Amino acid sequence: MKELEFAEFYRSSRDVCLRAVLAGVGERQLAEDLVAEAFTRAWVAWPKVARHPAPRAWVVRTALNTRISWWRRRRREVALADGHDVVVPPVTEPGLDPALLALLRRLPRRQREVIAFRVFLDLDTEATAKALGIAPGTVTAHLARAVATLRGHLVTADAKDTPEAGK
Amino acid sequence: MNEHDTDVLDALRASLADVTLDTPLETIVADGRARRRGRRIALTAGATAVAAGLALGVPSYGHPSTAPPTSSDALATGAGTVHIRTAAYSVDSLKSGALRVSWDKQAYFDDHAGLEKALHEAGFPVQMKVGEFCKGPNDDGKLEHGVGTGVDQVMKGRRVADDKVTFDFFPDAMPAHTELFIGYLDSAQLAITGGRPGSVERLVPTDQPLTCTTELPSDSP
Repeated sequence: MKELEFAEFYRSSRDVCLRAVLAGVGERQLAEDLVAEAFTRAWVAWPKVARHPAPRAWVVRTALNTRISWWRRRRREVALADGHDVVVPPVTEPGLDPALLALLRRLPRRQREVIAFRVFLDLDTEATAKALGIAPGTVTAHLARAVATLRGHLVTADAKDTPEAGK
Repeated sequence: MNEHDTDVLDALRASLADVTLDTPLETIVADGRARRRGRRIALTAGATAVAAGLALGVPSYGHPSTAPPTSSDALATGAGTVHIRTAAYSVDSLKSGALRVSWDKQAYFDDHAGLEKALHEAGFPVQMKVGEFCKGPNDDGKLEHGVGTGVDQVMKGRRVADDKVTFDFFPDAMPAHTELFIGYLDSAQLAITGGRPGSVERLVPTDQPLTCTTELPSDSP
């Protein structure tokens, strides 16, 4: 039963979780690795994860935490001067808009996480706030800032795709 | 949230709508089983062996006993094969002729010389440096994702999970008079990249002088 439950959960959630984590990290390969790792941990802890009110949120939270724990270790080890969690544009992602991914990577971490939970997991503000351990008002503020930043790129991109009237 | 905000978020959703995870369920379950079993063994092995850096006898990542290994994953045995286990890395000869290498990312920085030596012993020609990036005289310098031409024929990444990385190396696919060069960012370069770990891999000649630089290479446009 456990195997069947997990299999169904994996099949129905893996793509959604990958998109959420991709929005959170802005790098396809890294997102895939983190999500696979998080699902592996979910399998190991399935009795607990299955009872979680939002198992997909558990997976995405685990994936993003995995990345953070790696960053924290690296930062301690190399004693970086600035300590910012800045991500360098890594590679061209086939099938994805590189400018959009670059823009996502430039967003502050909290804004990316709010997008991951609020937009791609479709959690409401309260559930997003609970998942991230922040106030609901903070979720709203982060989302508004992220939308303001993304609007220019996405609206411009849409406009390019839309033929002008009369032509 | 107003209508315009919703339009932006819909566009964002649509831009990632084609992204799918290809990792098979079987891989997730096999890794989970191996990890659970590894935990049990590690608990009974105790801390002494860990502190001494000795092999624990824990099955390597990707070889869960409860799932039959594929022919390409099966470990090779007998003369000429290598099975090295340290606390920092492991190197295993596979029946396919490949070498499966798993290392701790931090140990790579601390002991890339040890890993380089282990790979040499396993028959895979490789040169590793930290903070220095080398290429041969006929190398056009082009990189894609930090990787030079032909590298994908001799080295494939399997999984990056938190602090571990696993690669398969293919000694038989290495061209004559050629070795793999791996250049890793040093601490100063990591500061430049904001802490993002990275490496550059190239195939380089073994019989010609290399040109090395401490400048961070960039991907080709």
